[in-house]
Parts: sequence; C-alpha cells; structure tokens
Amino acid sequence: MTKDTPAPILIDNLVLAYGQHRVLDGLSLQVPAGSITALLGGNGAGKSTTLAALLGFVRAQSGTVLVAGVDPGMDPDAARRRIAYLPENVALYEHLTAAENADYLLALSEERKERRIITDAFAAAGLQERAWDQRLGGFSKGMRQKVAIAVALLREVPVLLLDEPTSGLDPRATVDFNALVAAVRDRGTAVLMVTHDLLSAADVADRIGFLEAGRIVEEVAASGPERFDVRALHARFAVAAERLAA
Amino acid sequence: MSATRLIARDELRLMVRNRVAVIAFTLLVLLTLVAVLSSWAHQRGNAELRARHQHVAEHAFDAQPDRHPHRVVHYGHFIFRPLGRLAAFDPGVDAFTGSSMFLEGHRQNTANFGDVRQSSLLVRFGQLTPAFVLQVVAPLLLIFLGYGALARETERGTMRLLMLQGASRGQVVRGKLLALGGVALLAGLPAMIGFVAIAGQPGALALPMAIIAIGYAAYLALWVVLILLVSASVRRSRDALLALVALWAVAVVLLPRVAPDLASAAVPLQNRLQTDVAIARDLRRMGDSHNPDDPHFAAFKQSVLKRYGVKQVEDLPVNYKGLLALEGERLTSELFDRYAGKSYAAQDRQNALVEGVGVLSPAIALRSLSMAAAGTDFAGHRRFLEQAEAYRYALVQRLNRMQAEAVSYSDDTATDADADRRKRVAADNWGQMPDFTYRAPSGAALAAGALPGLVIVLGWLAVAGLLLVRASRRLGERR
Repeated sequence: MTKDTPAPILIDNLVLAYGQHRVLDGLSLQVPAGSITALLGGNGAGKSTTLAALLGFVRAQSGTVLVAGVDPGMDPDAARRRIAYLPENVALYEHLTAAENADYLLALSEERKERRIITDAFAAAGLQERAWDQRLGGFSKGMRQKVAIAVALLREVPVLLLDEPTSGLDPRATVDFNALVAAVRDRGTAVLMVTHDLLSAADVADRIGFLEAGRIVEEVAASGPERFDVRALHARFAVAAERLAA
Repeated sequence: MSATRLIARDELRLMVRNRVAVIAFTLLVLLTLVAVLSSWAHQRGNAELRARHQHVAEHAFDAQPDRHPHRVVHYGHFIFRPLGRLAAFDPGVDAFTGSSMFLEGHRQNTANFGDVRQSSLLVRFGQLTPAFVLQVVAPLLLIFLGYGALARETERGTMRLLMLQGASRGQVVRGKLLALGGVALLAGLPAMIGFVAIAGQPGALALPMAIIAIGYAAYLALWVVLILLVSASVRRSRDALLALVALWAVAVVLLPRVAPDLASAAVPLQNRLQTDVAIARDLRRMGDSHNPDDPHFAAFKQSVLKRYGVKQVEDLPVNYKGLLALEGERLTSELFDRYAGKSYAAQDRQNALVEGVGVLSPAIALRSLSMAAAGTDFAGHRRFLEQAEAYRYALVQRLNRMQAEAVSYSDDTATDADADRRKRVAADNWGQMPDFTYRAPSGAALAAGALPGLVIVLGWLAVAGLLLVRASRRLGERR
C-alpha cells in the first residue's frame, strides 16, 4: 500500500448522538490495510457505536465515515458487502448445522465456498469435527463463536470488525484466535477490534487507541519484538476507565 | 441464487424442520380434502333430492283428475331451487333460506326447508366447505407458520446478521414474502383444485370462477402481508403471535358474526306473523269480491258489464267468477309484491350495512365476494323468490283465465246434482301447464355482484403492502 492509498477504515471528526447524549464526539481513526487496531475503552466510551457507524446501523450527525471508500450512512448495503463482522453476542441459525450456517451466510454474501474450505476454516477456528454437521441448538457459546469466527474469516473482504471477539473463549482458544486474526491481517485486511481484553489486544494489535467520551484520547503503536509494555498500557487503560466512570 | 430466494429457502427449511408446522400444514390439506369431498357429496345429494322432489311434485300436479280450475289454484304446486355448480364451494345462505316453495292462489309463500331447520344445530356453526377452510382456517395456519418470520430474526439478532452479509431490508422482506406466499399457495391449491373439479367445465361460469380464484388468492396474500407487517413491527415473536391471533379473532370470527346482528338492530325486519297480520288488514281494506256492496268490486263489475255491453253478468260471454278471480289475484299479488318489496329493501339495507363493516374486515368482503360469485348470496335467493312469484302469478292467472273461459257462469253457480261434473275441466289441461324452470344468472352478472368485495380485498392488500414497505425500512435499527 502506498501513502496515497486511502485506509479501508477511515473515520474523521465523527459526531454521533442518541437524542441529547453525544456518544461519539469528534472521533478520528484510520486503520490501514494489513493492520490491526484495537480500541480500548470503558463501558459507554463509544466502542460499539463506532462499529455500528461503520456498519451503517446508525447515522452520524457530522463527520466522515468510509469503509473501503463507501459511506455506510449513504449506502449501507454496499458498505456491509466490504465488511466481515464478528459481534460479541454471536447470532446464528439454530435450525441449521454449523456447515449449513456457513454455507447460507456465505451464499448470501455471494462468496460461496466449497465444503472443504469451510471445514478447513472450522478446523482453523478450533471447532471439533463432530460438531460440523450438528445443528447449533445444542452448541455452547464458545462453539457458536468458533462458527462465527470461521464465517467471518472466510469472507474475502477488505475490512474485519471484531466486537469483544475473545469473550467466551478459553485461553488456548484466545491464543489460536489471535493467530487467525494475525493471518487475516497478513493477507491485507484492515482489522478493527473493540475489546476490554488488554492482553489480547497487546498480543495481536499493531495500534491501540484509548477511547474516552467519544474520542480517542491516546494512541500507542507497537514497536520492537516486545511490542507493547502491558503494565504501562494497563495503567493508562485503568486511568481512562476511572476518568470515564467519574 | 439471489439473496431473496436464499432467504425464502431458509425460511421454508425452518418450517420443514419444525414438526409442528409440517403437522399443521398436513392437517390443513386433509381438512381441505374432507371439505371438498363432503361439499361435493352434500351438493350432489341435495341436487338429486331436489330434482327428485321436483319431478314428484310435477307428476302429482299433472296427474290431477278433472277438476274445477279454482280447486287447482288451491291444490297448489311445489317448486325447488336447483343448486348452482359453484354452490358446493360456497353454499352461502342456502342452508338458512330454504330451497322449496309451495305456490298457491291468494298467498305468496316464502321458501322452506333450509338445511338449518332440518339438520342439527351444528350446521349453524358453519358447514365444512372449501370456502370455510380458506376463509377461516388457512389464515390461522399462516399466522402460526409466519408470525416469527421477521420478529424472530430481530429478537435473536439474526436480522443484522442477514444485513451484514449484504442482504438489503427489501431482500429480507421479499424472501419472507416468497416463503410464506409459497405456503399460502400450497394451502390454497387443494381447495382450488377441488373447486375446479366440483364445478366441472367452466363454460359460462369461467368469469365468476376466475373472480373467486383471484379473490381467495388476494385474501391469502393479504394475510401473508399482514403477518409480515406485524412481524416487522414488533421486537418479539410472542408479541407478533398475540397481535395476529387477536386480529384474526376480530376480523374473521367476531366481525362477521356481529355485523349481521348490528344490521338487524339498525334495520329491524318484520317477522312473518307481523307481516301476515298487516297483509290481512290491508286485504280487508281492499274489498270483498263476494259483497255486492263493496265499492271496488261493484265498480269492477260495472266496468266489465260496460266493456262487454251487457246489463248483467249472466249475459257475459265469459264466466264472471273467473274474471273476479283474475282481478282478485291481481290485487292481492300487488299487495304481496308491495310487502315483499319493503322486505327486500330492508334486507338490502341490512346487507349494505354488513358490507360496510366489510371495509373493516376483509373476511366479510371475501365472504360477500365468494357468495355473490357462487350465486348463493341473498341476491341469488331473491332471484329465486322473484322467479317463483312470477311463475306462481302466471300459473294462477292462467287457471283463473281457464275458469273464465272454459267454465260457464251458469255451471259455476249451479247447485244441482250434476253441477259438480259440469264445472270440471279435463285432466289433460294440467299437463299442459308450463313447469317452473329456474333461470340461473349469467356468469357476467355473478361476477359483477362479486366485484365490490374483490375491490375491498384488493384495497386491503394495497394498503397492507404500503404499510409493510414502511415498516421494513426500520428493520435492523436500534429500537
């Protein structure tokens, strides 16, 4: 990517309010292709609203939002076709098997895949083989999340949005998941994750932004083999959360 | 495959995997088949019974011995209303109005022997017909299969999941419409196939049959749209189910039963006893043909004598008693017609009120459409009564004319031992009397009668469609 290529995720001076309450207040953020940005912030800092704005589910009062060059406020369907999204509370179809869920959702996004590719993604997401052809009715939260992760990773899109992606995953699955996200980044996808999980963010992100009262108050980039100083990050994150609570 | 078809296919897959849905659908199809077969058997049995009774009545009339014509007037004649071919699909008011009439002089009787009076009280709850299944049961099945189509997606968060895969709100709604519409089509198809099988070759009835098919298709389509409209407007499936069952109960069960009661209260109809008393009172006022001082009949007598240029009735070339019978029947029939006209007008006003309520309930509008196209509505019943009265009047006046022309006044007033024989007319005359032949309305007339109901159902469909478009714009939004 050259310097002139616009970032797949571009937010500039975004203002968004629910009634009188300003949730995002001049938020600016860029996530270049082939990078992972983690947004950290306390409850109510505006993390989920940022994702909702990128997905075109809420309209901004002012500012710019672009997803791979498309304004989700103007053309949400086109923007969504450029996004793979993994929500915190995974919603899938319980009357379908894991493989049928993946096949249906990929067919809807016009990215149908062969069964072998789907099952490879399941395996990569850590879903056991015996679960591939079982209906989701009896799945645990972690198993559902693995199905959703596999579907999100199978989407060949320029943007991946992750909302608390590691909640509900055990430590081993979290490590595996982070490896998957890193692999997606390496194929040129712009990844934005919002999370409370500082360790996971520090493990996989290239940049970490601290969101407070609807704007990024501090941004840290990874550097060197040790990447982030987790202790220092934790101190900053805790301070930001306390300020917000106050 | 387009997103719309993918969503439709998944909705159908959900229904198939839901055993309750499959069982309910199978029961509906079985119920429809039973309704088609029982209606067909019932109609066939009724048609044969009426034809047989009609034949027996005609034979009895023709087999009368030599008789005085006025005795034949009082002997009377039974006629039976033949059932139209479409009556098996929707028997309408036939079970309540009666199907036979006794025709006689000086009286205008009404129809008798409706199924309701001959059968158990259960008939009053509605005969199991294809029309009943489509009007009442099919919407309920569609509600149970479709109430969660959109509300479930919103409730479980999969609405956004669909949209995140690039499916637009319009595609989601169209997919659900396609799936539930397909179910409605399958639910309606057995009844329609049975309808065509019962009715046989459309021929002259092609137009009313087409109106019935379009009307029921529009009605089921309306329920599909209403179900999705409610499902799109609430956040929980449970709320959608409650709202839709309430809507069904009011529109399909309550209003069609309350509307006639409201109409009866608004436009009271005289009962048979009240009418008979009023007619008897008017008959007394009209005059007495046996009273020589009665002003009307005295004037009538003078006009007859003047017309024939004679001084006394004995000199008339025709039997004066026959002329009196002709005049008396003319007067009483005019009176009966006036009362019948008042009754018809009141019933028309009642029906107009019921159809007015039909604007609020598409079930009433569809019922009106269905009965009108099948020729089993009140207009069809009235058509039979009017034709029967015209036949009765012509028959009685023909007999009265026979008395005037074939029986001499002197014989008619004689009291000697042989007088009774001389007053009689030969028996072969009775067989020459024309039989009653019911003239069925044309297909165009039946279709025209069904149009107002069709317009109301289509109007409902258009409005519900616009509301669904509006409601679907908010799908997936934070509420």
